[in-house]
Amino acid sequence: MAEINVMETIPEKMIIPLKQHNGDICEPLVSKGEVVKVGQKIGECPSEKCAAIHSSVCGEVVSVEESSHPSGNRINSVVIQPIEETECEDFTPFKDSGKEQLISAIKEAGIVENYGTPTHLVLNPPDCDIDTVLINATASEWVGHNYETPLEYASQMLDSLRLLMKAAGASRGAIVLRNDDKDSIDAFDGLDYEGKTIMVAPLLGKRRVGYYFNDQNTDIIVASQDKIYGKNIFEYFTYNVTGRKVPFRCTPANAGVAICGVKSAKAIHDLVNTGMPYIETVVNVSGQVNNPQHLLVKIGTTFRDVIEACGGYSGEPAKLISNGVITGVAQYEEEVPVTKMTTSIIVQGKDEVLKDISKDCIHCARCVDVCPVDLIPNRIAALSNQGRFDECRQMHIENCIECGRCSSVCPSKIHVMQLIQYSKEAIARADEDFSEKESSNIKLGCSCGSE
Amino acid sequence: MTFTISPPPHIKQDTTFKKITWIKILALLPVSVVSIYFFGLYALALILAGIGMAIVTELVIEKAFNKDITIMDGQAVLIGLMLALMLPAEAPIWIPIVGSFFAVAIGKHAFGGIGSYIFNPVLVAWVFLILAYSSYMYPVSFPELGGISDIFLENGAGLLIGVSPVALIGGLYLILKRYIEWKIPAFYVLTTLVLAFLVGDEIGHVVTGAFVFGVFFLATDSPSSPVTKNGRIIYGILCGVLTVIYGHFANYIFAVFYSIFLANCVTAFIDTSTLPGSFAEESFLQRKYRKIMEKIPIERLGVKTDD
Repeated sequence: MAEINVMETIPEKMIIPLKQHNGDICEPLVSKGEVVKVGQKIGECPSEKCAAIHSSVCGEVVSVEESSHPSGNRINSVVIQPIEETECEDFTPFKDSGKEQLISAIKEAGIVENYGTPTHLVLNPPDCDIDTVLINATASEWVGHNYETPLEYASQMLDSLRLLMKAAGASRGAIVLRNDDKDSIDAFDGLDYEGKTIMVAPLLGKRRVGYYFNDQNTDIIVASQDKIYGKNIFEYFTYNVTGRKVPFRCTPANAGVAICGVKSAKAIHDLVNTGMPYIETVVNVSGQVNNPQHLLVKIGTTFRDVIEACGGYSGEPAKLISNGVITGVAQYEEEVPVTKMTTSIIVQGKDEVLKDISKDCIHCARCVDVCPVDLIPNRIAALSNQGRFDECRQMHIENCIECGRCSSVCPSKIHVMQLIQYSKEAIARADEDFSEKESSNIKLGCSCGSE
Repeated sequence: MTFTISPPPHIKQDTTFKKITWIKILALLPVSVVSIYFFGLYALALILAGIGMAIVTELVIEKAFNKDITIMDGQAVLIGLMLALMLPAEAPIWIPIVGSFFAVAIGKHAFGGIGSYIFNPVLVAWVFLILAYSSYMYPVSFPELGGISDIFLENGAGLLIGVSPVALIGGLYLILKRYIEWKIPAFYVLTTLVLAFLVGDEIGHVVTGAFVFGVFFLATDSPSSPVTKNGRIIYGILCGVLTVIYGHFANYIFAVFYSIFLANCVTAFIDTSTLPGSFAEESFLQRKYRKIMEKIPIERLGVKTDD
């Protein structure tokens, strides 16, 4: 089990962006000169598609201004100068156990999945019923810090799963681990929970979670599968785990599945037991730093302070990446804050920076061999390059999970993933102003529970 | 402090087209050395003439059409070397020169350069040479493989490539290191051996230097072979079938070259007809299987299934 260290030093400046999720920007509740406490709400949701923002430190608001954001944009942020003493809001453990209260508490606590969707929307999507809750632990981002033993971690995750199921009103839940993550599998295997022994069930071929729910005669199981990573893995993940196909332009919610991350599950557990909103997260710092580690930091800490807490750069840094080397975003500067969506910070040295020039495709089929969803990336890239988006649709471009493996193995160094993303974007925009009533034959949108 | 900005992915494999090509050339060096030992310095002259003319042609064409000079990626060298190795040892010195010019100028550049040509340039040039100058292209002897020693050193070889099938072992290294992929060679060899056994040809006649060379270096040439997973299997089987058909009625050495050339013709067709479906879609067989399984009352038989 990877050890989690806690960042003790108090930085000079905290930047808390008012948008740490996909959706609308929050409205600031504080203004310059005000003093805020730990856990105080500083961003109010203007709409449903939003999650509240809380202050993670105690201090004085220096300004509310546009500041850099790890996504590469500039977003309205609250800049706070922390002070030494910590004064907290009164956190009260969550008492009432109703579904509606739990959902509104999750929304108030600003819990967000690491892929950006606010958790209350994942668990309680408009016009859809969720019957299965999955905790995706395959990406293996680490969770919390105060576990005595792996067993404690395992039972806490199962408690979190129960809470998630209650919040979603789902009858079944599963934790999906990675095949090669031996620590976690050992932690769960043989654990006694609610009078039953948990067995880690491998997902193989046609044996998906449905089989194990029947086989083990339970409503909670722990399963394991191969590692999947990528930006849009949810449709593929849903299919892999439950066998349900998510229709084009729909979300897993339309198939009755809610997918949560490990971090948000832990945050909900904390919320119910201590009342603490989502104000701290674990980031994995690696690459050209002196002391790479998993670090528990407060949201809003700048990358510079995080790297200093890890012993500073070793050698001259050339590239700063948030969220992984395959799908992450390269940063312009160090003055970007850790947000709820940040899972890792990677520093690359000068010799690691790629300077390749694209050549012609030689049809070596390496991209075809590595593609986890059976696409022909080289052909889709060529069609995207020529703007033939209709043909891209026929090649099932919407299945692409944007894992970046095709770009990574290409010997001609073609930017396959960018070309596919470009084409997907163009396809999505083409239908934006498409009138629904134009023809009775065409039906846009998704219907819930269709299998 | 300034940081580099670039789109993801931020790490890539260090395999480049240049590296793949030069390693293929390295894998062909042992057989070149054995053929020079066998046929004397004249074989070296043939190889050098082939490589030299290929480089000169590439340079002239790229200069003339204002393209980037791509000599250093090694493809011209590879084409020249492969063509020279496919010639008989007593061919006149102008044969590789004409052949290399034809391979690079017509086979490669007239079709649009790397990645665009539909026929393997080496085979294009070989077919041209054997049609135009057939009297110079027929070797004085065809190998009569019999014993184990002929696998290592073939005394009756007429072509440079025929001298030693074992010296082409570099092809296996290429597969292990994934510089060429395994499906085409595996299905090619399997089909050929099984079919040759069925029609009653001696395996010793089939496994020649030309066959091993064709399996590892000609059939796996990436622009002229399919990209889809099933397509590569079909292509390998097709090459094998054509090789046995030609080989059974003529000789297996020319059959290898002709069959790969003909299989190149249908590469695009194989590709477009084997495009994979969406990941959650059922294939034809799966659909039939499900239809049958739906009619069996599994629940009543007391067997638990997936929902």
